[in-house]
Amino acid sequence: MPRLVLQFEGRTLQEQGVGATVTIGRLPDNVLVIENPAVSGRHARVFREGDDFVVEDLQSTNGTFVNEKRVTRQTLQDGDVVLVGKHKLVFDRAGGDDAPAEAGPATLPDMGGTMYLDTKQHRAMLGSLKAQVAAAKEAGAPAKGAEGPAKGAEAPAKGVEAPAKGAEAPAKVAAPQKVAVLRVVSGRADQSEYRLRSNTTLIGKSDTAVVRLKGWFKPKVALAIARTGDRYVATPLGGKTLVNGEPLQGRRDLKDGDVLQVSGLVLEFSLPQ
Amino acid sequence: MRLRVGAATDVGRQRTNNEDAYASLPDQGLFVLCDGMGGTAAGEVASRLAVDTIVGQLKAAESTGRADPSGEGEDGYLLETAQLAEAVRRSNRSIYEQAQQNAGQAEMGTTVVGAWIRQNMASLAHVGDSRAYLWHGHRLEALTNDHSLVEARVQAGLLDREESLKSEDQNILLRALGREPDVDVDLHEVPLQPGDYLVLCSDGLTRMVPDGEMAEAIARVREPELICRHLVDAANRNGGVDNITVIVVEVEEGWWRRLWNRWGRPSGGGRNATVSPAV
Repeated sequence: MPRLVLQFEGRTLQEQGVGATVTIGRLPDNVLVIENPAVSGRHARVFREGDDFVVEDLQSTNGTFVNEKRVTRQTLQDGDVVLVGKHKLVFDRAGGDDAPAEAGPATLPDMGGTMYLDTKQHRAMLGSLKAQVAAAKEAGAPAKGAEGPAKGAEAPAKGVEAPAKGAEAPAKVAAPQKVAVLRVVSGRADQSEYRLRSNTTLIGKSDTAVVRLKGWFKPKVALAIARTGDRYVATPLGGKTLVNGEPLQGRRDLKDGDVLQVSGLVLEFSLPQ
Repeated sequence: MRLRVGAATDVGRQRTNNEDAYASLPDQGLFVLCDGMGGTAAGEVASRLAVDTIVGQLKAAESTGRADPSGEGEDGYLLETAQLAEAVRRSNRSIYEQAQQNAGQAEMGTTVVGAWIRQNMASLAHVGDSRAYLWHGHRLEALTNDHSLVEARVQAGLLDREESLKSEDQNILLRALGREPDVDVDLHEVPLQPGDYLVLCSDGLTRMVPDGEMAEAIARVREPELICRHLVDAANRNGGVDNITVIVVEVEEGWWRRLWNRWGRPSGGGRNATVSPAV
């Protein structure tokens, strides 16, 4: 199996076979977890496309580089060096032998109170966890946890359904995320439209608000729009907000084309499909 | 927006010292809770140091106004969230440095869960297995995912949630403050509405008291100080194996709504409680 060899400052930290999609990032749910502030939560992924292997940047903050050229998407050749933050991923097309290069199941020192795994132990531990999950997927059988059979009915099952398809193996990471836009239909605002890139967009008079309301009796914070991926949820916090003419009480998922009236300001929410 | 706040900490039934520390500053909307570790009093040092550093940093940030936070990769977050994250990172550095210089404290570390509430928005930061919950619309939502080996196994599909509660290595953390020069801090932003309750707590509570019982306590008791006392008692009743700390922040409803709750509701409270009474 082709593999990615993770290196940092000349040292090899980990090797990862590229069977299903390999997601790379800082968050622990990635296949390759790189705990470094220069790496985005979901930074990039490497996957099979027909006979090729492709690296795709997931709109990371600091970018993904192949042989020192910034790329958004590129087919990998044997020996290509993918740079993510300061970590190198060397693409080895032939792959070593098929034996996974993960550290064996890490063992834990016996301790009474709360303990902490340092980064190296942590990586070994997560590596062996992932090896177990991968092995379970290939065998089409439930994973064996370190403490006996695990009944991870939900998570691994998803992977088990279609492991053979290869090229179309469902990626855990969504395609590059869409960014919604609020367009000012009427009322006073400092811009004619706002791109909702932030995790939270506030509408109100407060100086923390992105969409700034003007006028004497406007609430400091009228509405919060929280973004999770391409899902946007509005929560009213003050004043009066209507969505498509109905008063907004609790949280509400915003849909493309929704019209918001926030304390007199009329905005159209659009989320390109 | 008015906040009503309660907080309680207790050594539990089996430990001799309390390594949890917290700060509750309703006027600043700032709440920080830490669960220290590292044996022979060092855990107490770490948790106290973390709480004090974070509070000190944010008070300074508040007085200097909109100074640009130096944290990198924080784009997309509110200023308060970025400042909270930076304060947590500084506290990590402080503990780490102190641990390096004192042989007796070399193994010390701490979890943290912090909330900074400004104008109806709660910025949350967390590292380790201390948790934050939001009680909203009569449902209790977990806002954080533990940085523990057990949680990693659950996420990887190797262990189901039920079994995880019985697992013996619940006390193995994958992230903590003070153990490495840099730490990854999980951040969340949560809009708060009147009637919501925000709960911060250490694992001494969550391992002893199931989420359903916590939801039930909030629905029935309503008064933050009493909720805290109720939860600490429940944890002790169920074994009290670890130190227990809990902070409950209620976002108060307008006076008309409070009157309605007092007079308009059937007695006994918990009109719409989703969990059946069993306390």
